[in-house]
Amino acid sequence: MTDADYFGLLGVERRWRLDRGALERNYLERSQASHPDGFIGQDSGTQRAAMERSSQLNQGYRTLRDPVLRAEYLVKLGGTDLDSSDPRTGAPKPSQAFLIEMIDLRERLAEGDVAAVREEIEARAEQALDAGIAALDRGEVAEAARELVARRYFQRFLDEVDASEERPT
Amino acid sequence: MSKINLQDTGALFQIAEPTAAQAAPRAPGRGIGIDLGTTHSLVAIAPQGAAPRVLADAEGRVILPSVVSYAGERVVVGAPAMAQQEEHPERVVSSVKRFMGRGAADIEFSHPYQLVGEGGVLRIAVGDEPRRHVSPIEVSAELLRALKQRAEAELGGPVDGAVITVPAYFDDAQRQATRDAGRIAGLKVYRLLAEPTAAALAYGLDRGEHGVFAIYDLGGGTFDISVLRLHAGVFQVLATGGDSALGGDDFDRALAGHLLARAGLGEPSRRQVESARIAARALKERLSAADSVRIDLESLGLVDLEVTRAELEALIEPLAQRTIKACKAALKDAGLRAAELDGVVLVGGSTRVPRIRQLVEMTFGRPPLTNIDPDQVVAHGAAIQADILSGSERPGVTLLDVVPLSLGLETMGGIVEKIIPRNATIPISARQVFTNYSEQQTGMVIHVVQGERELARDNRSLARFELKGIPRLPPSMARVEVTFQLDADALLTVTARELMTGVKQAVEVKPTHGLSAEEVDRLVIESLDHAGEDYSARNLAEARVELGRVILAVRRAVGEVGHIESLLPPDDRMAIETALSEADAAMVAMVAMVAGSTTESDTEAAAASLTRARERLERISEPFAARRMQRALNAGMAGKSLDEIEAALADEGLDARRGGHSAALIQDDDEHGE
Ligand SMILES: Nc1ncnc2c1ncn2[C@@H]1O[C@H](COP(=O)(O)OP(=O)(O)O)[C@@H](O)[C@H]1O
Ligand SMILES: [Mg+2]
Repeated sequence: MTDADYFGLLGVERRWRLDRGALERNYLERSQASHPDGFIGQDSGTQRAAMERSSQLNQGYRTLRDPVLRAEYLVKLGGTDLDSSDPRTGAPKPSQAFLIEMIDLRERLAEGDVAAVREEIEARAEQALDAGIAALDRGEVAEAARELVARRYFQRFLDEVDASEERPT
Repeated sequence: MSKINLQDTGALFQIAEPTAAQAAPRAPGRGIGIDLGTTHSLVAIAPQGAAPRVLADAEGRVILPSVVSYAGERVVVGAPAMAQQEEHPERVVSSVKRFMGRGAADIEFSHPYQLVGEGGVLRIAVGDEPRRHVSPIEVSAELLRALKQRAEAELGGPVDGAVITVPAYFDDAQRQATRDAGRIAGLKVYRLLAEPTAAALAYGLDRGEHGVFAIYDLGGGTFDISVLRLHAGVFQVLATGGDSALGGDDFDRALAGHLLARAGLGEPSRRQVESARIAARALKERLSAADSVRIDLESLGLVDLEVTRAELEALIEPLAQRTIKACKAALKDAGLRAAELDGVVLVGGSTRVPRIRQLVEMTFGRPPLTNIDPDQVVAHGAAIQADILSGSERPGVTLLDVVPLSLGLETMGGIVEKIIPRNATIPISARQVFTNYSEQQTGMVIHVVQGERELARDNRSLARFELKGIPRLPPSMARVEVTFQLDADALLTVTARELMTGVKQAVEVKPTHGLSAEEVDRLVIESLDHAGEDYSARNLAEARVELGRVILAVRRAVGEVGHIESLLPPDDRMAIETALSEADAAMVAMVAMVAGSTTESDTEAAAASLTRARERLERISEPFAARRMQRALNAGMAGKSLDEIEAALADEGLDARRGGHSAALIQDDDEHGE
């Protein structure tokens, strides 16, 4: 890939605030130009290149379109990969205090305070995302990474609550 | 699972293949569109920009009933096969689409067949004398062959290639089975196209129209719902959902059960069940127009029986509700409310049932569009796309389709980790880096599944494969990058490479269902006059590319580090040089051999000699590759802390997860192996 990152690939500015119109337009235009259907009958190297470029465009579009994935991707471009456990370049470990708080929340949930806890966590997840974005805007990647890791914890918590509510007992 | 390719080294992966020579000549206007339905199949053409039209057989019938009879000496397809069904229920195969890509254990609906599970492959026993077992893929190939012949008669010459439609909700195994059937029928399959997407295309929704549409497709055996957005020249599927085992067949079964109960037949014979099913289908279809129907069913001892539409509706209501639930889920996935849609299109014979129309209208809050014959609309769309892909000048549309079900890997404890989410636009790829647990670990098993459930065993198992020959390195030092690529047909290809070294890895694939690549190849050769030639030509092209890659990689390595004697001792060097010149000679000989002749056996022989040359070169250069790896490792580790090494190895920002995926570790028993 010649374009260094998804922002370049899709022709939008490398920052969290997004020009949605430009993203949609460029994605459709560039997808049209590189979709494998346009290369049927050509040699296999060309076909594979088209498939790889289309894959990149689709992956990039999926990432940039989503506010959370976009923020996490910016952190990754800043050198911290939230999906990795590498001590230097991976997700920062949450603080002891944060983990204890999560345990408390779990206990409150077990006590049956589902609706209130859920609402609180939802709000905290939103706050963490906002704080992460603000940090990105200030260029503070480490701070953004911490906030986005916290958001992931809240999100996982919410997913678990939803799953346990859907499960027939 | 389509195929597993193993790239020897990172370097090999980069090398471009020999080029334009391989490009196939185009044959504008010789593409055909096939709707391979559970109940009905059709073929249509739309040559060089013409309006699509379905093709009829010699008797003027457009619809080919998807029925294949093995009752007589010769295989019979379509309406004549259907006529034999009541007499030989177990040897006349209908609705075979429901068996595609499935294992015997997955078949939960009733059917009159004797299934044989041979090595995970499901087959239908259609004859004792002589004993005959056919796979669903072969049965489908019979249907495709009949349609191909129809098109050849119409075109007055060979067909270049085909677009075959599949339910949007088909998983990888089902799609692969369909593609294999196409190959066995002697078709170049340009593309598998989702049925709702084909319908949208046919609706001419492309002609300057903009908006968001839902396509509700309820056929004989499958249900699909897709939500598409149309812009100038692009069809973007936003979400898709459905059930690949729900359709009019199930309505028939429900009604047949009801008829048998009314006849007081607790334990009906196979033949009675078949009679009830055939009668139920006719009744059901008549009840779409009439409020009640009277019939005689002598074989069940029922005379002047009255069945009302209300009775039928009560029987099918739970099934109908399942489709509505899927519609709501698809809207949610697309992030839309029903009111935001610009239209709803009905496709498939079962949408003629009044209760279905009513429910669809209620759910989407508007009367559905039905102006194109719902039986033909899918074939029309396939024909348009086939025309474009055959190289016609037709103004093209770009179809951005999605994968209907998430792709995941089984991790510790049988939990699935998703690597590609459902509704992701295809093509798309995901990469995972696998690392070792211990120095003793020399391999790991990777299990690929498709579906939304949390536990691997609740999803569809696509394939297991083994990464072998992982170098013996300290824990989490060996790093194998595995790439999962979904192509534009939503078919999966897996490639693997060792990130640091050139050590050769071995991968063994066991597709969970479906025929092995070898068996498909054999069937292709057996079943067709020209298929053999096509196949060997392709084989030859592949052998050439493979050998070209290996020659380049070895040459490059020799050029770069061959002067270091500890890496490449003189004896080894000599052996490698010899193997290289033999390989070159094989390339030259191959060109000469094929130039003067086009016979299949010559082509086969040429491919075989290239493959032999490649294998020999690989074997001889393997110690050299191993030493290069060792050197890379030593250089990387000297005088550095574990942390530093680990950080250095966490290259390319790739996602390293330490051994979390090794559902099963393979320990090297031979402790003295090195
Ligand atoms: N008038 C009708 N009323 C109800 N069902 C019908 C009618 N006509 C056809 N069908 C049903 O439609 C199904 C076939 O639809 P079709 O779209 O051809 O399926 P497929 O694409 O799966 O082959 C069968 O179950 C058939 O009984
Ligand atoms: Mg159909």
